[in-house]
Amino acid sequence: MEPITFEYQNGHGCRIGRGWCAGHHGELFQGAIAGDHGTMRRCLMTLPCDNFQSSVSFFPDSSGELRVDPPHKEKARRTVQYSLDALGFHYLGGVIVVRSNITECKGYGSSTADCVAAALAVADALRVKFTAQELARLVVDAEQASDNLMFCDAVLFAHREGVVIDDYARPVPRLELVAIDSEPDRLIDTLDYTPASYSWKDLQYFEVLVTALRRAVRTHDLPLLGQVATASAGLNQRVLPKPGYADLRRLARERGALGVAVAHSGTVMSVLLDPDDPAIEHKIEALHLDAARLGLQAARLTTRDAHAQRRIA
Amino acid sequence: MRPQAAAALLNAFRARLVPLSDNLVAAVFPLMKIFPAAFCIERARRDGAIGPRSTLVESSSGTMALGLAIVAKWFCHRLIVVTDQACDRVLARRMQDLGARVEIVDAPAPVGGLQRARLDRVREICARGDDYLWVNQYDNAANPAAYASLAAQLAGEVGRIDCLIGTVGSGGSMCGTAEYLGALFSDLYVIGVDTFGSVLFGQPDRPRGLRGLGNSLLPRNLDHTRFDEVHWVSVQEAYTATRLLHQTTSLFCGGTSGACWMVARHWAEQHPDQRVVCLFPDDGHRYVHTIYDDEAMDAGGYWVPQLPAAPREVSDPRDAADTWSCLRWSLRSYADVVKEPCLITTAG
Repeated sequence: MEPITFEYQNGHGCRIGRGWCAGHHGELFQGAIAGDHGTMRRCLMTLPCDNFQSSVSFFPDSSGELRVDPPHKEKARRTVQYSLDALGFHYLGGVIVVRSNITECKGYGSSTADCVAAALAVADALRVKFTAQELARLVVDAEQASDNLMFCDAVLFAHREGVVIDDYARPVPRLELVAIDSEPDRLIDTLDYTPASYSWKDLQYFEVLVTALRRAVRTHDLPLLGQVATASAGLNQRVLPKPGYADLRRLARERGALGVAVAHSGTVMSVLLDPDDPAIEHKIEALHLDAARLGLQAARLTTRDAHAQRRIA
Repeated sequence: MRPQAAAALLNAFRARLVPLSDNLVAAVFPLMKIFPAAFCIERARRDGAIGPRSTLVESSSGTMALGLAIVAKWFCHRLIVVTDQACDRVLARRMQDLGARVEIVDAPAPVGGLQRARLDRVREICARGDDYLWVNQYDNAANPAAYASLAAQLAGEVGRIDCLIGTVGSGGSMCGTAEYLGALFSDLYVIGVDTFGSVLFGQPDRPRGLRGLGNSLLPRNLDHTRFDEVHWVSVQEAYTATRLLHQTTSLFCGGTSGACWMVARHWAEQHPDQRVVCLFPDDGHRYVHTIYDDEAMDAGGYWVPQLPAAPREVSDPRDAADTWSCLRWSLRSYADVVKEPCLITTAG
């Protein structure tokens, strides 16, 4: 069915726009690299996850006012505002409907997913395309720090600048996750949370991790990827310690998993497994039982199917 | 020189990674010590420990001094190297050509010998004023920290690494590389190579024929708890292995590389499913008239007709003697293994 279109004063065609974006389950890496003149650039690579999705519908009108439902999705409203401004339609208004199954303030990237979906909805309404880099700028402007969910390929992303530092030109390898929430009752707002302060020594560790990360993605080396994620999670224990991290790491080892990954500014963490491992079903079952024995509830998740994301972006 | 230009030059000193067998990679440096030299100076500048016109002072008779001479030249610092007669002429000439002042100490100290006398002289020079900085590779934390870039290079070019093997002198290269690689590969197996008569891992102090590894003082940069195994090799074995390394692989390296290779080749053969990296710290040019000279080898009695097929295993460092020996150090502290404190530290 063709979407309803209607004409505006300047003659541009405009229709109801829709966009969606998957969330993530923490990051495979988060830290910083040395920039020019003794500066540092904070950066990360997210662990995209198809089980979490946000979809946004944008109903444009000429009211000049933007309303969002539910009303607290302020970052999505701001993204729509900035997107309209960027496209020269600052005078448009409309209703933004955000429908998401992503829990907020846990490290699932709920706000970035909302914002990316919102910008895509605007682009859809105005029949234009944003590049991933344009999306990144819009979303970082709207929420100050964002994840790299707008990119189909794995990238090392300066999440407070909205800039790609390194494009690995390959999607994040497919992984199976056994996910748990280290503190189900705790919520962490990314912006309330003070960014980690890193020493020059931390930057050295990150340099090692980043070069290994590039190799792991480019050569599809899943064990190496697991080691990078585990090391990044371990370094983050000083910044935002997660109860049960040591247990999870031990379990990952005992069960022959690739490693563990955490939300560096959230509470969730996961054991990473190779989907082509012949013993995967057995390992996942064992990990679920292990987690239950520790009083933790585990969920089975898979990383994003890169091809599905490519179709929409 | 602008920092970017210095960084570009430093980059030219990076290791070549040479695959020696299916599971053994050698990191072959033209002059490994230029990295700690550069990093010690960079940290001192950043921390404000030295100003643009400060004088650097170091006690060294080896490649650390040459590395410092090169980097001091880049950043226009004066450098005073305190050394003894063992410092070879070529090295001294190169340092002087780069503008360094080379001071020779002749009289050994009553306790601690020449090495102590050299450190005493360094302290004397530094007492002249605030504008003198003792680089102190033995205790300066920037020495091990210089090896983060090597760890990054290895992780990026080799990927998974199970075992790291290298010679130990100040502890900087092995403890630093092990620290940064260990952050990624938590099961990394670390093997240190020392020589007979070096106090580093509990041997009684005595004159050593092999230079470039071992020590008669215990540096703070040596973290014993990083080592799974320690090997001791003789000067004869190291020299013969260095020649054999050249003959079989064409790698033209110094004597410490030969010592390292002898241990690494054996360990890699014994553990075919483990990926091993070994460090070769300098090239062979300084040794043309010694290790690479057949007459000098004959005259010194340095040839070993047949290198040992395997090391002799000991459980006490004091039992290691004569031929290639090894001890399962198992990440223990010095006191745990040796059972008595080592009094001859660099702190003195």
